[in-house]
Amino acid sequence: MMPTLIRFGPVPGWAILWVVFLAAAGIFAWRVTTLIRLLLLGRYENRFDRIPQRIWRVVVYILGQRRMLEEPLIGLPHLLIFYGFLMFLLSTNSMLLSGLLPFLHLPTVDENRFLAPVVDVFGVLVLAGLAVSSFRRFILRPAGLQRTIDATIVNSLIASLMVTFLLAEAFRSVGAGAALKGASTQESVWAPFGNWLAGVFSGYPALVVHATGLYYFFWWVHILTVLGFLVYLPYSKHLHLLAAPFSVFFSRLEHPGMLRPGVLLEGGMGAGRLNELTWRQLLAAFACAECGRCERACPSFQVGEPCSPRQLVHNLKMQLFLCGKVMMSGVPASKLDKETCLLEGLIPRNELWTCTTCRACANRCPVFNEHLSITIDLRRRLVERGELDKRLEEALRNLGRYGNSFGQSERKRAIWTQGLDFKPKDARKQPVQWLWYLGEYNCYHPALHPVTRSLARILQAAEVDYGILYEAERNSGNDTRRVGEEGLFEMLRERNTAVLRAADFKDLFTMDPHVYNTLKNEYPELNHGRHRILHHTELLAGMFQQGRLKAARRLSYGVTYHDPCYLGRYNGVYEPPRAVLKALGLKVKEMPRSRSFSFCCGGGGGRVWMEETGEAHSRPSESRVREAAALDGVQVLVVACPKDHVMFSEAVKTAGLEGKLAVKDLTELVAEAI
Amino acid sequence: MKIAVLIKQVPDLVEGLEIDASGKALDQDSLRYIISEADDHALEQALLIRERTGASVDVFALDVGEARDSLTTALAKGAERVTLVAAGLEAAPGSHALAELFAGVLRPQNFDLILTGVRAIDDLDGSLGGLLAGLLELPYVGLIRKVETGPGGETAIVQKEFPGGFITELEVKLPAVLGIQSAEQPPRYVPVSRLRQVMKTAKIGEQAVEPPQAQPIAVERLFKPEEGAGASMLEGTPEELAKQIAGLLAERHLLKG
Ligand code: HEM
Ligand code: SF4
Ligand code: SF4
Repeated sequence: MMPTLIRFGPVPGWAILWVVFLAAAGIFAWRVTTLIRLLLLGRYENRFDRIPQRIWRVVVYILGQRRMLEEPLIGLPHLLIFYGFLMFLLSTNSMLLSGLLPFLHLPTVDENRFLAPVVDVFGVLVLAGLAVSSFRRFILRPAGLQRTIDATIVNSLIASLMVTFLLAEAFRSVGAGAALKGASTQESVWAPFGNWLAGVFSGYPALVVHATGLYYFFWWVHILTVLGFLVYLPYSKHLHLLAAPFSVFFSRLEHPGMLRPGVLLEGGMGAGRLNELTWRQLLAAFACAECGRCERACPSFQVGEPCSPRQLVHNLKMQLFLCGKVMMSGVPASKLDKETCLLEGLIPRNELWTCTTCRACANRCPVFNEHLSITIDLRRRLVERGELDKRLEEALRNLGRYGNSFGQSERKRAIWTQGLDFKPKDARKQPVQWLWYLGEYNCYHPALHPVTRSLARILQAAEVDYGILYEAERNSGNDTRRVGEEGLFEMLRERNTAVLRAADFKDLFTMDPHVYNTLKNEYPELNHGRHRILHHTELLAGMFQQGRLKAARRLSYGVTYHDPCYLGRYNGVYEPPRAVLKALGLKVKEMPRSRSFSFCCGGGGGRVWMEETGEAHSRPSESRVREAAALDGVQVLVVACPKDHVMFSEAVKTAGLEGKLAVKDLTELVAEAI
Repeated sequence: MKIAVLIKQVPDLVEGLEIDASGKALDQDSLRYIISEADDHALEQALLIRERTGASVDVFALDVGEARDSLTTALAKGAERVTLVAAGLEAAPGSHALAELFAGVLRPQNFDLILTGVRAIDDLDGSLGGLLAGLLELPYVGLIRKVETGPGGETAIVQKEFPGGFITELEVKLPAVLGIQSAEQPPRYVPVSRLRQVMKTAKIGEQAVEPPQAQPIAVERLFKPEEGAGASMLEGTPEELAKQIAGLLAERHLLKG
C-alpha cells in the first residue's frame, strides 16, 4: 500500500503530504525568484550566444566534472554524490508523485527492473562519497575550506536521505515478503543493498512484524527530508548545485587574454556598486561552493597578502544579500546608501590591489567564476576616483607622458643596442619580415640588456630579417589595462596601432608575455590574421625545427622551466620553450607547479608598480625559486619573461640561493649553445 | 573666495637637453615642456582649498610649450576656468617680465588668493611670487607647505618650513600671493578617460597681452660644466709616491731648476 494512504487521525497521509509539499515548493519558488531578481540587479551582458559551445562546456565541466577531478580526493566523491543526486532526483520525484496521487498507482522507480538497482547502488556510493568528503573536510582540513555549519548540515541531510531510502526500500521488501508468506523476498526487483539489508532484517522477527510500519516511517522521513532539503538548499552555499550548471553555461567564451573593455557608466568607469556589475558577475556569488580552490592557487594569498579570490566572491554574496533587497525596491541609484557600494562596503581596497592577475584562480574554479573581471572593474572605479597608491600614480603618469613606466625618455628606447656591433633595422623606415616589439622591460631595464642583446645576436647569426620601432614603440598597455586605467590603455593602443600600421612588416614577435598577450588578443587591428604574433620562444622553436638554428655544443646544466602566466595560462604556450630546451640537449625537470598550475612570480597586473602592503610574510617569487632549487640536480631556472628574470634574480638573492640557482632567459642558453 | 593659480612650463629634464646654435638658449626642437613641479603643487593646494571651502579656482599659464595640455589637465582636475596668456613668446621670459605680464592680467580680477610655485628650475632672476606681490602691492609668503583659510575668508593660515626642523604657522591677510613649495598631498592623478572627455569639451580662455619690454638681464652664454680630464690615483709606498709626484711635476715643467 502507498504510505500516503495511511491516516493520521482523521487526516489522510496524502493530504498532509500535499500541504507540506506545497509549502516547501512555494518557499523554494519564492526564494529562487528572489535570487533571480537579485541577479537582474546587474547590468545586462550577452551570454546567450554560441549555444553549442556553451552546452559543450556543461557536458565537460558539469557532467564530466573536469575541474572537480583535478583534486581527486574530493573530485571522485563529488562525482559519486553528483550522479547519485541526479539518480535520486528521478527516484525521489517518482516517490513524491505516487505519494501525492496514491490512487493512480503510478509506477515508481523502485519497482522498475532497470532503475531500481542503479538507484540502490548509488545510495551506497553516495554514502561512501560523503564519508570520504567528510573525512577530507573535517579531518584533513585542506586550506581554504571552512568547517562551516552549512557543510555539516548538508552532508548530514544527504546522508540521511540515502539511509532512509535504503531502509525504506529494505523494509518494504521485508514487509512484502512477510505478506506473501514464504515467497522469496528477492522476487520483486534486483536491488543488491536493499535486498541484502532486507535479508539481514528478516532474521529478526520483531522487525519482520513491524516491517510495513517501519517502511512507512522511513518513507515519510525520506520524503520530508527531501522537502526540507528543497527549502534549505537555496538558503545555503549548496545553492551551487542549482547555480553551478548555469554559471558554467553562461561562462565567458572569449579568449581569457582579452579583458572585457571598461564601460563608462553614469557612475564612472568600471564598477563601484552592485548594480554596476553584470548579472553574470553577480551569479558568481550564487555559484560559488566555497571550495577554496581559487584561494589555494592564489600566489598573493599564499604569501599572506590580503588577497583572496574566495573571500572576494564571498563578500560579493554577503553584500548582495545585505543590500539587494533595498536595491530591488526600486530606489534610484543616486538615493541608495553607501552600503550598496561595493567599495564602501565589504570589499577592502588591498584585496583588489594585491591581485597579480595571474588567473590561477579563474583557471581552477569549478563553476567558472570570473574573479578577475570583478577585481578589475572595481579597480577601474578606484582609478577613476584617483584612489590609487602614489607609486602606481607615478608609473601611470610616466606611461601617459613617456610611453613607459620607468619615466625614461622615448629617445632612449634603443639604448640596449649599445654594445651590439650591428644596428637593428629601423622598421619604420624599411620593410622587414619580422617586427620585434621589445616591450619596456627589455628596452630599459639595465639587467635585461644582455638578454635582449643575446636575442639580437641569435637573430643576426641566423640571418633573420627583422626590425625594431626605436623610439616610436610605447608600452603595449597590458598591465596598464589590468591595473584599471582603461583610458590610458586605449591611448597607448591607439598610438601603437598607428605606428604599427605605418610600418611594413609581415609578422611580429616579442620577448615579453605581457606584450604578447595584449598584442595578440587586444589589438583588433593586429588580430585579424593579418600578422602572426609570436613569442620569441615560439620563434626560436620554429627556427630549431626548420634547422635554421643548430646547437653547436651541448649544454650540461640541470634546468627547470617556469611557465609565465601570460604565456602559459593565458595563451596556452607550453611546448615551444620546452622544445627549444630539448633542441639544446637539455632535460627539463618539471617543478611540482608547472604548466597551467604554474605559480606567478608576483609581478603581473601592475604589482611591480605598487607599494608593498607590508602584510606579506614572503614573496611569491621567493616561494618559486625555492621550489626550483629544491629539485634534484637543477642549477638553472629558465625563464621566458623579462619580469620573471628580474623578479627571480632578486628572489634568488633574498632567499639566499646565490651560487645554487641561476636565473637565465631561454635566449641566453640558446646563445651559449649555438 | 576666488583663487588664482599661475603655472609655468619648464624644460622636461627626462629628455636630454641640448644647447641651440646661438649658444644662449636650449634647443627648442629637442625640448619638451612640462608643468613646473612646484606649480603643480600650487594647483593641488588650490584644489584642496576649493574642496574644503567651495572657493573657485582659476588657472593662468603663459602660452609656451605644452601650456594648453597643462591647462586641460587642470580642468580635468577640477579647476573652474583656465586661461592661456598669449604674449607671442617662444620661451618663458625672466621672472620680472613674467610678473609684469601676470600683474596686468590679474589686477582687474580681484582674486583673494594667488598661488604659484615658489620656484621653477629655469628661474633666471628670482621667483615669480614675490615680484608679483610687489607689483600688486599684496603680502607675500614663500616656501609654503600647507594653506588653510581663516574664518570668513579674511585671512589664510599657512605653514612654512624653516631649516633646523622648524615649522611656523603664519596668518596672512588676504588678498595675498603665496609661493607654494609643496601641497598637503602630492598632485592628484587624472585618469586618461576623464582627460580625454575634458579635451573634447574644454574651454580654454585666451587673453592676449603685450610682449614684455626689453629686460635689463640678458643671457650671455649657456653651457655645460666643462669636464676636467679626471683624477688619477697614485699607489705605492711613501717613497715611491714621492718619486712619482716629483716625476709628474717635472713632466709638466712645474719644477724650478
Ligand atoms: C552541478 C554541478 C556541481 C558542481 C560544479 C559542484 C561543485 C562543488 C564544489 C566546487 C564543491 C566544493 C568541494 C571541494 O572541492 O572541496 C562542492 C561541494 C559539494 N557539493 Fe557540489 N557541485 C555540483 C553539484 C552538486 C550536486 C548536484 C550535489 C548534490 C547534492 C552536490 C553536493 C556537494 C556537496 C555535498 C559538497 C560538499 C563536499 C565537502 O564536504 O567538501 N554538488 N560541489
Ligand atoms: S588572479 Fe592570481 S593573484 Fe589575482 S586573485 Fe586570482 S590567483 Fe590571486
Ligand atoms: S570561487 Fe570558485 S574556486 Fe573559489 S571557492 Fe568559489 S567555487 Fe571554489
